[in-house]
Amino acid sequence: MPKVTYIEASGASHVIDVDVDENVMHGALYNNLPGILGECGGARSCATCRCTVDAAWAAKVGTPTTHEERESLEGAEGELKPNMRLSCQIDMTDDLDGLVVHLPESQF
Amino acid sequence: MPIDAANPVPPSYPRRAGPDQIPPHVPKELIRTSGIPTGEAFLAGPHDFMARMHQDFPPIFYDVGDYGNAWQFIKHEDALFALRHWEHFSNEGATPFPRDPNDYFYFIPIEIDPPQHRKYRNIVDPLFSPKGVLKLEGLIRQRARDLLDDVADKGECEFTEAFGRPLPVSVFLDIMGLPQDMRDTFVEWAIDLLHGKDRESMGRAMQNIVAYIKQAIAEKKAHPDEGVVSRITHAAPDGMPLSDKEIFGFVIFLFIGGLDTVFATLNNIWLWLARNPDRVQEIIARPNDLDAIVEELLRRWSVTFSGRVVAQDIEMRGVQMKKGDRITCVLPACNFDPDVFPNPLEVDFDRPRRTILAFTVGVHSCMGSHLARLELKIALQEWLRRIPQFAVKQDAQIVYRPGGVVGPESVPLVW
Ligand code: HEM
Ligand code: FES
Repeated sequence: MPKVTYIEASGASHVIDVDVDENVMHGALYNNLPGILGECGGARSCATCRCTVDAAWAAKVGTPTTHEERESLEGAEGELKPNMRLSCQIDMTDDLDGLVVHLPESQF
Repeated sequence: MPIDAANPVPPSYPRRAGPDQIPPHVPKELIRTSGIPTGEAFLAGPHDFMARMHQDFPPIFYDVGDYGNAWQFIKHEDALFALRHWEHFSNEGATPFPRDPNDYFYFIPIEIDPPQHRKYRNIVDPLFSPKGVLKLEGLIRQRARDLLDDVADKGECEFTEAFGRPLPVSVFLDIMGLPQDMRDTFVEWAIDLLHGKDRESMGRAMQNIVAYIKQAIAEKKAHPDEGVVSRITHAAPDGMPLSDKEIFGFVIFLFIGGLDTVFATLNNIWLWLARNPDRVQEIIARPNDLDAIVEELLRRWSVTFSGRVVAQDIEMRGVQMKKGDRITCVLPACNFDPDVFPNPLEVDFDRPRRTILAFTVGVHSCMGSHLARLELKIALQEWLRRIPQFAVKQDAQIVYRPGGVVGPESVPLVW
């Protein structure tokens, strides 16, 4: 199973196996990680699953895939950083094995 | 102390109802009797009433009524705050649905606060996720088409009976892993339970549902399958199988949370469509914008409320709330907050995207929201394909029934 490293704002990091076909938000929730809330369950409506994709992975992961995602990121509280994505919109693939994402201090 | 879901006990704090039970910390000037959700002014036009609340009521006020006294939150930002701070606004004991105190159980996951809450959601979230429900798309579409085959040529129908109830019940049975031949019985039980004519018929419906669910759980124990009931029955988070009370409380809550809400949502929306033929044409002309259209319709026609209990004293907008007070987030009113949704009653499919509260926010955000969105989307596509022009039947009486799920009782249509 591909692995994702989630790095909290405090620096604490967690390496998690995330199923292909799952997304980066569920990977965190199903493993009780702090830092990603994913309130709406992936409807692109809550923006409580924001993460910053590590610079080394940014090109592979890509930019927001829909204008809904873009609008949700823009409307969210807190700073909109480059490479920020809704983690519920990053689908796991074998290509993304080793992905590193950074979590904001707070999701709201 | 956090509750122990395997050993449920009824909540211990008082339930306050009526003008004689207003605690002394409530300032006189904040006491109101709104009549939500049973009063005449409310039932005359519930959504208009809730939109007007921003002029007619203070942003936080103490509502007094026979249903129970509670602080009401109508501002989008206040609801977001309350719903995201469970350490102040708890769900433990916040669901007023009556139960036998001698055989008590919790409604799961709604009555469970973090951190235990996530354990339950993780059991079934994969089935209810956007990807999970998409597996049902073909089936939902087929069920919608079958229902439309029965009515399309008739030129009229009572929407609720012909489509608005059977569709969501069929889909519910599919995802739960229960047989379709229970459809009409489930519809009947759901109506009797949530809108029974009297206590007796409500009690009888509850007994039938309880007996059926217990039997279904026993059967899934013996014969596991891919459905939600089986998944819950066989769940063992961290290696610990759920207790019988947890399994029962989870399955029965899906019945209570997952049917009437969808009925009411569809009723509200189809009534609006029938009265706005030009907007129907607009929807037909914008097939690629259907997700945004569904989202805006859910905002405009939200049907329910989020109740919480104050777990720690807190002050908001200068209002002191004390442990044991109840609060209600009036979700439809929050969706009409003009500071967030200008011109709130206008249905505008091009609004900038903001968090809508139809499914609430916070950890208890509706588990069925992706299923509900998909049902609504397919219902719109299939209905409008077959019946693109329709109207409310002449002289039809549109009546809203009192209760915590807001929608017209019936919607007679002609085409
Ligand atoms: C348009 C239809 C629906 C609406 C408007 C709706 C609305 C809501 C709302 C407002 C809540 C939060 C309640 C609170 O904060 O106290 C909620 C929770 C919930 N809903 Fe829905 N719902 C709908 C459909 C469904 C369906 C189809 C299901 C399942 C089959 C479902 C299952 C649940 C569950 C399990 C919860 C509790 C979640 C938790 O506590 O974590 N809902 N729903
Ligand atoms: S989980 Fe809500 S936007 Fe990603």
